[in-house]
Amino acid sequence: MNKKAIQWLYGELPRLVAQGILTPDAEARLRTHYGPVEPARPARLAVIIFGVLGALLIGAGIILVLAHNWEDLSRPVRAVLSILPLAAAQGLAVWTILKRPQSLAWREGSGTLLFLMIGSSISLIAQTYNISGDLPGFLLTWSLLGLPVVYLLNAVVPALLYIWGITEWSCHLRFEDGFAAGYWPLAALLLPLIAIWLRSGRYQVRPTLLLWALCVSVTVAAGVTIERVLPGLWIMLYAGLFALMFLAGEFWFADAEGFWNRPLRHFGAAGVMVLAFMLTFEWPWREIGWHYWYWERIHDVSWRAIPDAVLGSLIPISATVLLVMSVRRKTPLGLLFGLAPILAVVSYALVSLTETYAPAAGIFDLYLLVIGIWLLVTGIRIGKQGQMNAGLLAITALIVARFFDSDLDFLLRGLIFIALGIAFLVANIVMLRRKGASHEQA
Amino acid sequence: MNKRNSILLGLGVVIAAQLAVPAWMIIRHESTLREGKVFKFRTQPVDPADAFRGRYVLLRLEPGVVKVTNARQWHYNQKAFAVLGVDSNGFAIVESLERDAPAGKTALPIHVNWTEEKNGQVHIDWTGLDRFYMTEKKAPAAEEAYREHNRITNRSCHVTVRVRGGRAVIENLFIEDRPIRDWLK
Repeated sequence: MNKKAIQWLYGELPRLVAQGILTPDAEARLRTHYGPVEPARPARLAVIIFGVLGALLIGAGIILVLAHNWEDLSRPVRAVLSILPLAAAQGLAVWTILKRPQSLAWREGSGTLLFLMIGSSISLIAQTYNISGDLPGFLLTWSLLGLPVVYLLNAVVPALLYIWGITEWSCHLRFEDGFAAGYWPLAALLLPLIAIWLRSGRYQVRPTLLLWALCVSVTVAAGVTIERVLPGLWIMLYAGLFALMFLAGEFWFADAEGFWNRPLRHFGAAGVMVLAFMLTFEWPWREIGWHYWYWERIHDVSWRAIPDAVLGSLIPISATVLLVMSVRRKTPLGLLFGLAPILAVVSYALVSLTETYAPAAGIFDLYLLVIGIWLLVTGIRIGKQGQMNAGLLAITALIVARFFDSDLDFLLRGLIFIALGIAFLVANIVMLRRKGASHEQA
Repeated sequence: MNKRNSILLGLGVVIAAQLAVPAWMIIRHESTLREGKVFKFRTQPVDPADAFRGRYVLLRLEPGVVKVTNARQWHYNQKAFAVLGVDSNGFAIVESLERDAPAGKTALPIHVNWTEEKNGQVHIDWTGLDRFYMTEKKAPAAEEAYREHNRITNRSCHVTVRVRGGRAVIENLFIEDRPIRDWLK
C-alpha cells in the first residue's frame, strides 16, 4: 500500500479512537497489519545535499587558490602542490571511515571530494608539464581510479560521477574513431553495487538515482559503441533497449509510486514513444538494411563489428523474452511497449527486402496511435493524469507531424490545432474535477 | 579482520594507486625535462584570433610537412615516428618518417594528418605538443603582444622541447629568443 496513505491513516487513528469509531485494540491491530512507516526526514537529506555541495565548493576553491600566483612557483613545487588536495581528500575519506562510518552525509561528501580531486590533480600536473591531448585516456584513468571510492565509501554521488566519466570517455573515443565498446565492461563494474543496493531496498533514493543515471548513460552508449557496419541497426537496438528498460521496470519495480521512483519504466516508455515517433518519418528507413553493408569498415577492422552483432541481437532478444513473460502475467502496458523491438525487426526486414519506406513508417504511425489512445483511455479510467497527458501528447505529436507532411490548407490545420488544444484542456479539467470530487467524498 | 579494517585496507591500496598516477606523471616528465636532449621547434599560433584559448597558448610546431619517397603508404590518423635532426640554424627538422620507433635515433611519435601523393608530402600532427599553459590573465596578453609585434616585424616564435626515449615535453615558449614570460613583462 501507498506509504503516504499509511502515514495518513496513522495520523487519523488517534482521532478515530477518540471518537469511538475504532477500539484501541483495532488501532493496534491496524498498526501491526501495516507495519511501521519510516517518516521522511528532510533534515537528513538536506545535510547530505549540503555535504556534497560543500565538498564540490571546497574542491573548486582549492583549485582556484592554487591557480592564483601559480606561475611564480617553481615547477617541482607546483607538481607537489597539485597532489596535496588529493592527499587531503584521501585523508578525509580515511577519517570518515574511522570516525563517521554510518554518516551518509560524510560518506557522500568525502567520496565526492575525493573523486573530483583525482581529476584535478592529474589535470594540474598536465598543465604544469604542458601535456595535451588524449582526453579519453585522462577520463578513463580518472574514472577507474575513482571507482573503488564508490564501493569503499558506499556512496552514490561518486557512482554518478563514474557513470558520467565512462560515458564521456566512450563519446570522445568514438569521436576520435576509436573502439568504444569497452564502455560495457566498464559499466558492468557497477553491477555488484546495484545488486547490493537493490537487495537492501530497491525503492530507496540512491539506487533510484543510480538507475536514472544508467538509463541516460546506456542510451548514449548504445549509440556510440556500435560501429555502424549495418546501416539502420540502431532502430532495432534502441527499440529493444527501451522495451527492455520498460519491461524490467514493470516486472521488478512495480510497487514504486510516483514518476521519479520508477526510472526504468518511465525512461523506457518515453524512449519507446520518442523512437516510435521518429520512425513514423521516412528518413530513418532510407538506405538501410543488408544491401547497404558498410564494407569499407568491415575490411578495415572486422572484429570491431562484434559489439554490433552482440548488442544488436542480445538486447532485442532479451526484450522479447521479457515480453513473453509479460504475456503470461497479462500486463497490457508491458505487451504494448514490449512490442516495439518486434515491430522494429519486422519493419527493418520489410524495408530491406522491398526497399520501400512507407509501410514501415505506417506501421509505426499505427503503433504510436495505439499507444497514445491506450494511455489516454486507461489514464482517464484509472485517474492518472500523467498517463492521460502522455497519451494525448503522443496523439498530438502524431497528428502535428502528419499535417506538416501533407498539403492541407492552413484553415484546416488551424482548426485541428485548436481542437487538439481544447482536448488537452477539457481532459485535464475533467480529470482535476473528478479528483476533487473523490477527495471531497473521502 | 572486521569489516572496517578490510575497508581501510582497501582504501590504503586505492590511495596508493591514486597517488601513484600523478607521481608517475611527475617523475616521467621531470626526468625528460632534466635529462632529455633539447630541440628547438619553430612554431606559430594556429590562428592569431584563436590561438590563445583562455588558459593555454595553442601551438603548431614546424615542420608540419615531411617529404617522403612513397606518400601512398601513409594514411590519415596513422601513428608514426618522426626521426629528428637539426638544420643549419639550429632548428629541428624531420629526417625521415618510420613506422616503428627506430633504434639509436632520436624520434618522436606523430600522427599522419593527410598526404599529397603527387608532391610526395605527408602532413603531420605533433602528438601532444600543441599546448603551452599560462595563467588566465597572461594567455590573452600573450596573444595581444604576439599579434602586435608580428604586425610590426615578422618576429619568429619557437619552443624548446626536451626529448628522451621517444617522449617529449615542452620546456618553454620564446618570442625572438626571449622566454614569453620575460617578454611580457
